[in-house]
Amino acid sequence: MNVSLQWLGDHVDLSEYSIQQLDELLTFAGIEVEGVESLPGHLVVAQVLSSEKHPDAEKLSVCQVDDGSGKPRQIVCGAKNYRIGDKVPLALPGCILDAGGGKTFEIREGKLRGVDSLGMMCSAKELGLAEESDGLLILSPDLKPGTPMAEVYPAVFELEITPNRPDCLSHLGVARELAALAKKPLKGRAHYGKAKTPVRPATSDEVRIESDACPYYTARILRSVKVGESPDWLKQKLESIGLRPINNLVDITNYVLMETGQPLHVFDLAKLDGGIVVREAAEGETFLALDGKEYTLASGDLVIADSKKAVALGGVMGGEDSGVTEATTDVLLEAAWFHPQSVRRTARRLGLHSDSSYRFERGVDPLQVAGVSEFATRWILELAGGKADDELLAAGTPGTGPSPVALDNDACRRLIGAEIPDTEIDGILTSLGLEKRDGAWRIPSYRLDLLRPVDLIEEVARVYGLDGVPSTTMATFSSASKADESYDFLRSLQDRLASLGFHETRNLKLISGTQLADDLATNHRGMSPVRLKNPLNDEQDHLRPGIVPGLLASASRNVRFGNSDLRLFEAGRVFVATPKGEEIEHEHLALLMSGAHLPRNWTDNKPRNLDIHDLRGALEAICPNGLNLVPVTDGRLLCACSIEIGTGRKAVKIGMAGIVPPARARALDLEAPVLVAEMNLKKLMSVAAAEITHGDLPKFPGSSRDVAMLVPNERSAGDLAAFFESYEEPLLVSAELFDVFTDPTGVKLAPGKKSLAYTLLYRAPERTLEAREVEEAHGKLLNSLRQTFAVEFR
Amino acid sequence: MLAQLDTIQTEALAAIAAITDEASLEEARIAFLGKKGRLTAAAAGMREVPADQKKDVGQKLNEVRDAITSALEVTGAALLAKRDAAAFASIDPTLPARPLPKGGLHPLTLVLDEAVNVLRRMGFALAEGPEIETEWYCFDALNTPPDHPARNESDTFYFENGKLLRTHTSSVQIRTMEKEAPPVRIIAPGSAFRRDEIDATHLSAFHQLEGLYVDKRVTLADLKGTLEYFFREIFGSKTEVRFRPHFFPFTEPSFEVDLKLQVSGRAARWVEIAGCGMVDPAVFAEVGQKRGDAAYDPDKVTGFAFGMGLDRLAMILYGIPDLRLLIENDVRFLQQFRS
Repeated sequence: MNVSLQWLGDHVDLSEYSIQQLDELLTFAGIEVEGVESLPGHLVVAQVLSSEKHPDAEKLSVCQVDDGSGKPRQIVCGAKNYRIGDKVPLALPGCILDAGGGKTFEIREGKLRGVDSLGMMCSAKELGLAEESDGLLILSPDLKPGTPMAEVYPAVFELEITPNRPDCLSHLGVARELAALAKKPLKGRAHYGKAKTPVRPATSDEVRIESDACPYYTARILRSVKVGESPDWLKQKLESIGLRPINNLVDITNYVLMETGQPLHVFDLAKLDGGIVVREAAEGETFLALDGKEYTLASGDLVIADSKKAVALGGVMGGEDSGVTEATTDVLLEAAWFHPQSVRRTARRLGLHSDSSYRFERGVDPLQVAGVSEFATRWILELAGGKADDELLAAGTPGTGPSPVALDNDACRRLIGAEIPDTEIDGILTSLGLEKRDGAWRIPSYRLDLLRPVDLIEEVARVYGLDGVPSTTMATFSSASKADESYDFLRSLQDRLASLGFHETRNLKLISGTQLADDLATNHRGMSPVRLKNPLNDEQDHLRPGIVPGLLASASRNVRFGNSDLRLFEAGRVFVATPKGEEIEHEHLALLMSGAHLPRNWTDNKPRNLDIHDLRGALEAICPNGLNLVPVTDGRLLCACSIEIGTGRKAVKIGMAGIVPPARARALDLEAPVLVAEMNLKKLMSVAAAEITHGDLPKFPGSSRDVAMLVPNERSAGDLAAFFESYEEPLLVSAELFDVFTDPTGVKLAPGKKSLAYTLLYRAPERTLEAREVEEAHGKLLNSLRQTFAVEFR
Repeated sequence: MLAQLDTIQTEALAAIAAITDEASLEEARIAFLGKKGRLTAAAAGMREVPADQKKDVGQKLNEVRDAITSALEVTGAALLAKRDAAAFASIDPTLPARPLPKGGLHPLTLVLDEAVNVLRRMGFALAEGPEIETEWYCFDALNTPPDHPARNESDTFYFENGKLLRTHTSSVQIRTMEKEAPPVRIIAPGSAFRRDEIDATHLSAFHQLEGLYVDKRVTLADLKGTLEYFFREIFGSKTEVRFRPHFFPFTEPSFEVDLKLQVSGRAARWVEIAGCGMVDPAVFAEVGQKRGDAAYDPDKVTGFAFGMGLDRLAMILYGIPDLRLLIENDVRFLQQFRS
């Protein structure tokens, strides 16, 4: 809302405050100042005394102007639209003007084509008063030379009023607030709660209310008014806050709205057919509004109607057909109170927002309706003449206003935590217009937000300010929660992955339907992805069921930017729906590896590409207690493996790993093999966080034997690992694969075979083994290998 | 015999002094001290030395052996040192590193972790809640009127079943109070969603950090002290903090918190950083009704709550000009936050 400083001055004397100080006063009252439009200093009214041709420039003239100092000042000027004697704005040296684009320039004394110029006469555009302008801004002839322009065009504040303070949506409201904070008296009345005009209940032919959405409706009939242009002061007031003057009647309603916060409407009485009916619209009823557009209404929309048709949308906008024109003589002035919800619903549904709906939606003071009607009537009579009916017609009731609120000052001090004396608490509330009577505070009718004791405490805290409140640091101890444990577990994984060369990403959790195909997490046990009802666009219409789709998108983007060697990881929330439609949220961790394992460098000028074994290495590094990659059939990945912890019946599946199908990788501009893994963090944590217990170190040396063997190609290293794992030989401690040799040409190895070499370690915990014992155990093991896998030893 | 020993010593020391390589040194050792070496041969002559001279000659023999041994050792050590030096002489320590892969954490993780570390020192425990919420947890229980604009489909993501993506982490306040009786002192970092087109200052999904403290006699002064301490830990002990009255449906009184900060080289200015306030009694009433007990009786407990945008915090702390950088995951951007 735009608020003019000059207009505020009608209500409270703020002359001793600078704009900066007012900005702070408002800010600390909880009224955000979004912007201040004000003219700079060193900018005054000047009168052109003479103008002569510049000796050396066709388009320039040399002017002498009166800047109020008593001595003429010489200005070189390019404009042509002024006459001798005109008053124009003059920027004196030192004046800083806006140059547009966030830049400023300072006016200096200088020469223009060799002639001294001691300032600049300005156009409206140069002062930021108009978008475009042609020549100098010609000012009112009544102004005295030397008058600061800031007085001619006073500052306008752009204020953001919070939804709880509709009472501040007017100049009087802001002035009331400032008066309280600045401890200054209001010059006039604090509100329009009292009207002298007799109120007569309207007959049902005159005004009939048929909807609960309008508790109170008043009409004042004025006859023989003369519609015409408004006087300059009124036009200037409206223009100063960005409103366009239309005619005296409309201007008065706008002026009164901005002055009091009460929306009004004027109907041309001649265009009304019968009395006023306040009713709900019929479904599909059409309405031509003042903005020239036709709206199709729904039942529930509140309309003001005559006997035939809707003539206004209650609290939102008047109708095109019943409005005031040049030909209007008799009018009906509407002042009413509409329910916020009703106005909000209609305004929102039709996308039709007006200064009126804005205020009704937030709440207008119902007890001010009659008083404001009277105030507006007075202005109409003064500016448009005519005669008003003696009585104000009214239907319904404005209610009784807010109930008194009792405040326990100790409770107030307790909540704020400051020893604010009773006198100060009472002083603050009194300054805001509250009145203490019989131990309770009577609330002014415009303060719709003051309903409970805590609402009064807020007022005290707000005005008292937090500067006066001590800063205390009392605290309760807290135990670590489950969320703390998860956080710490994840943080350690994040650090570990970062030291393993992974960069952490954070992708949007909203992904496209296309990306769902990249997901590894769903499609099992009937789970389905979760779709938004009202997405912003197709690119973000699903919640991610897994993290890999986002990682692939990040990888693709990186490759396009030339970063092709990637180790990425991401942890975070994923979402799936059960077959019953119930959403489930999990925490996942996903890894992606692609490109060279290291940058090309002098020690390795042809670094190899990352492969599935690197991925396995990374997975083992973050899960040092061991995990298994168990091959599974899954069309979404090559070399698809289930990530499992533990073996046999105790195995816990925690995720999936594998190679992204090359066709999909190429579609994402990814060339090298792309390795991905995704797992459930909670499951990983449940096994990784197992308690650590110390085991005795071996006291006796072990004895190792190396064995190389030809193994049929179809037997995997995993098969052998499982064999060693389950082989029952108490002396066998470990079997480490140290060589793999394959020969696709079939020259060095028999076709269909590969060579695997293991180091087998034998040890007894309580004694040094004799060679004989080792040989015996080793021999048995080799036999068993031969029988199980048909291996040949080399 | 004594003269012969002197000669051996003189010649041996001269020979050793002239040696420049380890092989020659070994040859010299064999030549003088080996089984067939000259000193060994001379020692064999002891048998012929008259008894009265044996002591002197024996003594001399030992002196000569010591001298030669010592010379061999000294020269040997020098030669070894020379060999060691030569072995490393060709190394150029200014060559670039044999690389290891380098990784790092996302700036939001760094900011969050810093915040969490400070708040944990202040006795806050972590809490969490679902990101797919019901209207009740996201709005109703937080005293938000039924027709509040934030509930609009134009502002909030909904699902066909009427649930929504939480628009703030404040829903975790309710989730926590529903489960736990006071005192509660929690922080809840997490995602929130608003139906905003993505641009330099808006993301449809962003990150917040929520805080809640409910106990007997929690005051506005506690809130002030808590947030001042927190922000000064993050931004420096001299950071100016101010509280501007504001409005939120679920706190009363409510404030916005500004810090006076120097952002990207410009003059220090007030930067809005958080919202906060005292928990509105209406919120306690809703929670109490849901719990079916009087644990959160507004006459017995009070509390404060605060919330801040982590993305914004990251922008300020690291001078990030565009929020989209935080979701694009360009490695060249992420690399800058390696720590």
